[in-house]
Amino acid sequence: MNAYNSIQSKAPAREWSRYRFPRDLFRFTALLACLLGLMFAIDFLGIDLARLLTLFGRVGEVLSERYFPPDVDYVMQGDYLASVVETVQMAYLGALIGMLIAAPLAWFASWNVTLSRRVLYPLARLFIMASRSVHEMIWTILFVTVLGFGMLPGVCALVMFCIGFAGKLFAEEIEVIDMGPVEAMRSAGANPLQTFCYAVWPQIQTAWTGIAIYTWDVAFRAATVVGFFGAGGMGWYLKRNVQQLETERVAAILLSIVVLVVISELISAWARHRLNRKRDANRIAIEAEAA
Amino acid sequence: MTHLVSLQAELERSRRRRQWVQLLMLALVLVTVLGSIQVIIIEDTDWDRVGSFGQIMESVGRFMALDLSLIPHLGIPMLETFLMACLGTLLGLFFSLPVAWFGALNVTPSKRILYPFGRFLMTLSRSIHEMVWALIFVAAVGLGALPGILAIAMRSVGFISKITAEAIENIDPKPVEAIRAVGGNNFQVMYYGILPQIKTVVLGTIIFEWDINIRRSAIMGLVGAGGLGLTFFRQMAMYNYGGVTVVILAILSLILLGEILSHYTRKAIV
Repeated sequence: MNAYNSIQSKAPAREWSRYRFPRDLFRFTALLACLLGLMFAIDFLGIDLARLLTLFGRVGEVLSERYFPPDVDYVMQGDYLASVVETVQMAYLGALIGMLIAAPLAWFASWNVTLSRRVLYPLARLFIMASRSVHEMIWTILFVTVLGFGMLPGVCALVMFCIGFAGKLFAEEIEVIDMGPVEAMRSAGANPLQTFCYAVWPQIQTAWTGIAIYTWDVAFRAATVVGFFGAGGMGWYLKRNVQQLETERVAAILLSIVVLVVISELISAWARHRLNRKRDANRIAIEAEAA
Repeated sequence: MTHLVSLQAELERSRRRRQWVQLLMLALVLVTVLGSIQVIIIEDTDWDRVGSFGQIMESVGRFMALDLSLIPHLGIPMLETFLMACLGTLLGLFFSLPVAWFGALNVTPSKRILYPFGRFLMTLSRSIHEMVWALIFVAAVGLGALPGILAIAMRSVGFISKITAEAIENIDPKPVEAIRAVGGNNFQVMYYGILPQIKTVVLGTIIFEWDINIRRSAIMGLVGAGGLGLTFFRQMAMYNYGGVTVVILAILSLILLGEILSHYTRKAIV
């Protein structure tokens, strides 16, 4: 025991520290840089932090004084309810056409099954990325400028939005498929279309259905406001009342949007849940067959 | 043998029934689509205003005459848009911490009241479009970058807190129990037991959301919060279509930059 202690005391005492030299230097420098960046951003955008502190009180005040009793009668009118139906139809049509265009694009834009990696792949990728990057509001404004007011530009904007949204998800789903069936089809001499229909499609069918439901849901959310720039539906009523400072009507319209979106989300969640259960059941059946 | 035959007949019948249902669904979809096309595209559209294909191409052509003199004026709005997205995401993260805490079943302070409340906040935040959030905040705090940041933050809360709450629900409970057992208080449990387990998921989610938020902050100017949206709106108001295209190209390049940045940050973290 004694000998042990003496060895211990003779060994050079090692300094233990919570801080390790290079790593912590980098860490603190990064933190400092973030804080400086934050200060710069607040300064550059001219944000008054004192206003931020009293923000919630003021938001509450504005809402309770100006927006409070929402004018429910306004949103129960026939005109407005008709616009709700129009919005639903717009979202339906936009999502459907968008997905019909997105499906072949996704096929071209997935690296593993695309028809030509040199030409079609980058083109389809670029198209999907471009339609995704431009916000649906900007698409709306552009289509309204070209086509005039009405629901047609709204549908066109939603189509572009859905191409970007669904195209990306569709392509991601194709890229993770099992390549075995594809190779089998190819070696048996199938043409690309046959390969897609019989080797790729069965593998992505359920996933694409889920994405399609989700796309419809998101498109509806976007459709409620595309009218803000003149593309028909509920958004037009929103715009008009915002500009006329009819705040109680605005409150009622916003409430109706929230209620409708929540309903559509519930329906889509229920449908996707059922679909997933079916997919799990299918997978179990396939695994059982394989075993 | 007869058993097998009856089974086969049963199978045949169920297949036929399924085909009928599928056919019926298809017909239903077709009817609604045709109805919508009739109402929306044929009746509601002012075809004289749209004009012929040549006229459409002519108005598209006006967008193609790029107004390159605008480029030097785009630097500051681009930076504004970028910073608005960053601050909005940060503030959204800040707001989503309590929401995720309420909305995760295993750590929520009260399962009866706060859990449904947290879940409700998540749905509410996601279901209101960012334009609508921006309108509300412009009414409440006036023009400027602040309403844009708040709108982006409110829209981000839903997604960030939902993923965070799900990550918290899926953690390994053993470290939490261990810290409780040695007498850690609630804060210590969160900091040492839960946070290390969810860190990567949350960081990945924030980067993803930041990427989307650049897209959103580019339109905040349309309702009175600065940035590229305001430049876009001004060019539109001046009917300077070439300038509009340049602004859109600027938005695209900003988003491309964001995508590249988020790709490398995600690689560095995961």
